[in-house]
Amino acid sequence: MSLRARAAGATAVLAVSLACAGPAIARADSAGPTLEFDRTRVDLVVGDKFHLITTVTNDGSAPTPPFIAHLNVASLTSDVYVDPEDWSPSRSKLVASLAPGASTTVRWDLQAVNSGWFDVYVVLLPDGSTTLGSGPLSVSPPVFAVIGGRQTANPGGALPVVIGVPAAIGIGLLRVRMRRRRRRRYAPDGSSGRPRE
Amino acid sequence: MTVVRHGTAPDVPREQRAGGWAVVAEQECRDLWLGGRGPMLLFAFSVLISAMTYLAATNQVLNFLERKEAANLVLQVAVAVGGLLTLIVSADGVSGERERGTLESLLLTPVARRDIALGKLAAALTMWAACYVALLPYLWVLGRGLSIAGTAMLLGLLVGTLLACCLASLGLLISAASNTNRVSLAGSLFLLLALFVPSQLPMGPSPGWFFDVVLVRANPVAASLKYLSDVLVSGHAWSSGLSYLASAAIVAFAATGAVLIAADRLIRLQAWERGA
Repeated sequence: MSLRARAAGATAVLAVSLACAGPAIARADSAGPTLEFDRTRVDLVVGDKFHLITTVTNDGSAPTPPFIAHLNVASLTSDVYVDPEDWSPSRSKLVASLAPGASTTVRWDLQAVNSGWFDVYVVLLPDGSTTLGSGPLSVSPPVFAVIGGRQTANPGGALPVVIGVPAAIGIGLLRVRMRRRRRRRYAPDGSSGRPRE
Repeated sequence: MTVVRHGTAPDVPREQRAGGWAVVAEQECRDLWLGGRGPMLLFAFSVLISAMTYLAATNQVLNFLERKEAANLVLQVAVAVGGLLTLIVSADGVSGERERGTLESLLLTPVARRDIALGKLAAALTMWAACYVALLPYLWVLGRGLSIAGTAMLLGLLVGTLLACCLASLGLLISAASNTNRVSLAGSLFLLLALFVPSQLPMGPSPGWFFDVVLVRANPVAASLKYLSDVLVSGHAWSSGLSYLASAAIVAFAATGAVLIAADRLIRLQAWERGA
């Protein structure tokens, strides 16, 4: 299955789950607040740090209640386990009440810790005094994250130290041995030439 | 010769005693480092730490998530192995001289036996000092991204030196009580293993009195490694877990004191003389 086909399938799965959830989940294009990421796809390798910016806009005619914006990461392949907390240390952020037509941005700092294909998305959870614990939820479109594996021979710049330190000590050891051998060769009785006092 | 056999201190003028330990330490250091044994042990140490560092750095989980754990792992292994090498060197101190037949000539030199013991301890500690210097680049590589390199280096210096003093004194005591190097090294290694094993036992959130006090706090090796881990990984304050270093400090103080006070009895041609 090609990457594009798999991505399309994943989007379809998300759409189906949104539809099945019924009125509790609002589509991003409904009258409630809408969410948009600053990009739709990221291509990275494991270990890369990146950030995403979500813009929350109140398209309605009334002020919105405060929200909690919650970031999630889902794997699109069954063989990769994702712990979203590993990707971002701060996945829930407060979004203040928005006047009609107003918008705000939320920044998410992430680090790609698994290789594979992932969807990164944000859900808005109502957090007002009257809307607490109720719907509808607003969901952003996903950001498709393609994370490649990395096989590096120099992880974290460790290779020079890992090779250099034993090499330097080994050279010192060889010099000591050569010096001892030379002394032994020139000592009249074949000993080390340095009798113990 | 007779003086030596009866284990009494040679009549050493006071002015010749001053600095006698430094002369012994210098000679021991020459034997250790120019004789090739020290560089060989240090080379083996660096290869081991290199392998540990490379594995920790290439492990994706450790590399990207728990760099503190990786630095802690390498530091703990370095402190334990550095202590082991110091123990090996000091365990050779007296029994090695006996076995090679060089103790007699050493005892005939105008140096007090206490100075001989002190000099041998100081020379054994240079093994740890060299290990520590070799360890610094590894700690810098593993800890620089998280700004824990400085903490790891200071912790290694404090805990490693304390543990090295403790093990060097114990090694010298065992060596003085052994007639052959084989017995001395075997006894020292057994002691270190016995002290090291509790640090590998799984420790739950609320360990019992026996486990916490007897197996960990009273054990210089396990308690020191626990202190390292608490400060470096768990972020405890340096002062909060100082009680974990108490056992290593007490053993180091007691064993060094015993070596120095009983040097005249310990450093003899034979460890155990029948009818003595």
